[in-house]
Amino acid sequence: MKPLAAQNEDEVVVITHEDVDRAHDRSRVSAARARRGFSSNARLLWLLVGPGVLVMLGENDGPSMLSYAATGAKFGIGFFLPFVALTFCMAIVVQEMTVRLGAATHRGHAELIFDRFGPFWGWFSMIDLGIGNFLTLITEFIAIRAGLGFFGVRPWIAILIALVILYAALMSHRYWTWERITLAAAAFNLVFVPVALMTHPSWPAVGHAFITWQPLPGFSKDTLLIVLADIGATVTPWMLFFQQSATVDKGMTTKDIRFGRIDTVIGAALATAAAIATILATAPLFAHQMTSDNFEAAQFAQALQPLIGRFGASLFALGMVEAGIVAAITISTSSAYAFGEVTHKPHSLNLPMGEGKSFYAVLTLCALAAAAIVLIPGLPLVYVVLLVNVVAVLAMPPALVFLFMLVNDKEIMGDLVSPLWANILSSGVVFVLTAAGILFGISIIAPNIFAALGGK
Amino acid sequence: MTKKIDHIPPIISSADETLVLASLEHDQLVGAKKHLIPRRHLKGPELVVLWSLRLYLLFMMAVVLYQVWTVAR
Repeated sequence: MKPLAAQNEDEVVVITHEDVDRAHDRSRVSAARARRGFSSNARLLWLLVGPGVLVMLGENDGPSMLSYAATGAKFGIGFFLPFVALTFCMAIVVQEMTVRLGAATHRGHAELIFDRFGPFWGWFSMIDLGIGNFLTLITEFIAIRAGLGFFGVRPWIAILIALVILYAALMSHRYWTWERITLAAAAFNLVFVPVALMTHPSWPAVGHAFITWQPLPGFSKDTLLIVLADIGATVTPWMLFFQQSATVDKGMTTKDIRFGRIDTVIGAALATAAAIATILATAPLFAHQMTSDNFEAAQFAQALQPLIGRFGASLFALGMVEAGIVAAITISTSSAYAFGEVTHKPHSLNLPMGEGKSFYAVLTLCALAAAAIVLIPGLPLVYVVLLVNVVAVLAMPPALVFLFMLVNDKEIMGDLVSPLWANILSSGVVFVLTAAGILFGISIIAPNIFAALGGK
Repeated sequence: MTKKIDHIPPIISSADETLVLASLEHDQLVGAKKHLIPRRHLKGPELVVLWSLRLYLLFMMAVVLYQVWTVAR
């Protein structure tokens, strides 16, 4: 490390390897920004796209794709198509705030909560994140195991393959390379689109569903669970922590916020396409009156095989594997970022192994522990999968309130505080999530009251 | 007696130092992040909201555990 002439007389700031790597990435952005024209803008977009697409496609993970598959199989084409698109709009509102926060403060989400609100509230949010991330990580390995199981791969080999891919993405010790490898893997999430096309969906019915939001599902406990699972499939606490930390690690500044927003919208559009494609792909199971209760990823692929053939079913199973792998990479990275931010240990994907021992150790240990749990024989994995999205929805309102307070904090955000319309939208998201959680609670502890409200 | 060196700091060239100075904002530097952002004083209504949501979450987690317990039975 080399001492640097500080801005403050009595302050000596050192330059690290991480700074140099980030500066190389930023110099390319500056060079692209200095030029004019369409190609320069396209280049700038290519350089700045990443955290938004990764967070959105990362959230199209194992349990999420399973939720969408269950939605299609249980309810067919109808209300849930526009509803899922709406949940991604909610995700854009929420994630855009993390881009602004990261670009304005150059601090991760966990770090800001600890610094601004103190360790008491900081630890609460870290416990929420830690439990949620670990449960979700387990479900990613369940998806990988189930997806590869379709091809006859043994569980331990499937888990080993996933761990090798996760480790390979880390080996570059460069944020940029890691991001590009993970983006390439995440693009495979769109494999659900050709699968949906193979089922020859009724496009007039799809159009009708988007315009009228009908047919409506009956108001029942099952419907509520699917509604909650589909919301939890698009907005979860780890996404806030990940996108803000990745924005900081990428070195984005306030000049890049416009591209950060575009990145988020592109990610949401791609993820919506994959989610809706999954609902369309499994909708024929509803049409054929096939019950899909307790289906796992591979069982959906097997059920679809008579309708779309072995190739289509294989693509579906591979899509589940991809969803699990990309999410395992992003979620374990989110945990490692948060740990480093809270403990003030080095935390960046630009760190060489020697300088980022704790960062890489947390990342690897989270993945290894979750992978090991999935291999325990006789564990009720289906319960975990069903509960993860519900837990995510329940944990979201407290996480959103911290985000809301931070992004409206003039001392750290300056002129980049949220405008009124953004505050109204984000308050609406908090209200919807809290109401959904309360309805879920009523349906469990007081099913009679729920039935009186019109449910079954 | 020899002293064990755990970690040898990387050598940063002058060219890299110039690049860092030209490309990164001061508070983007790892060294600059060692300073904590000052604590914010939470007002009464803010504390009420935070505590309400904390209790909401604890209650809902108990509901989830109850559901797991009933399904497991």
